[in-house]
Amino acid sequence: MKLIYQMLIATLEQHLDDTMKNPAVVGVLCTDQQGHNLGCRGSLSDEHGGVVSVLAKQAAALTRDPTDSPTVCLESESGNILVRSHGTITVAVHKIAS
Amino acid sequence: MTTAALTAGLERIPDQLGYLVISEDGVLASAGELENDEHTAGVMMQMVRTASRFRLAGSVEPPFKRMSVILEDFVYTVTVSGQKVFVVKRQNNQQEPISV
Repeated sequence: MKLIYQMLIATLEQHLDDTMKNPAVVGVLCTDQQGHNLGCRGSLSDEHGGVVSVLAKQAAALTRDPTDSPTVCLESESGNILVRSHGTITVAVHKIAS
Repeated sequence: MTTAALTAGLERIPDQLGYLVISEDGVLASAGELENDEHTAGVMMQMVRTASRFRLAGSVEPPFKRMSVILEDFVYTVTVSGQKVFVVKRQNNQQEPISV
C-alpha cells in the first residue's frame, strides 16, 4: 500500500515538474476537496490551497450539468490563475503572458 | 447613479446573453438570461469574496481585475467597480485547439 502511495506521489510530482517546463507557467498547485495541498511548484504554495478549492466548489454551483466542470480564471497584472477540478482534485495554474 | 447609467455599457457587450449588477444589499439591475437570477447573484458574490482573499507572495495589487468562469456553452465575466459587482453572461465561442 505504501509503495502504491509513493508511486502516485512520484507521478504527481513528475506532472508538476512537466507543467513548470512551459515557459508561461510560473506556478502550479494540486489540492483535495478540503484544500489540503497535494503538491505545488513556483508561485503557488500551501496558503493558496483553501481559496483554490473553495473557488472551484462555488463555481460548480453555476451549472446544473454535473459533467460540465467550470474553469475559473483570475486575471490580474501578475498573470492569470486558472482553476479547475478533476474529480476530487483541484488544479491551479499560474500563467503569465508569454 | 441611475440604473440606466450602470447598465448602458453592459447592454453593448457583443454575444452578451444577460447581466447582473450586484451590491452588498442585493441585485441592483439584471437582464436577459440573468434577469432576477438571485442564485447566480449569490454564488458570484461568494466567489468574489473568496477570490479577493487570494494573494500571491509579495504582491500588493488586488488579486484580480477580472474573474471569468468558463463553462461548456457560456462564460460568466465578473468585474468589481465602486462597491458593485458586474456579471456578464456571454456565449462561449471556444475555438478547438489546432493540432499541427
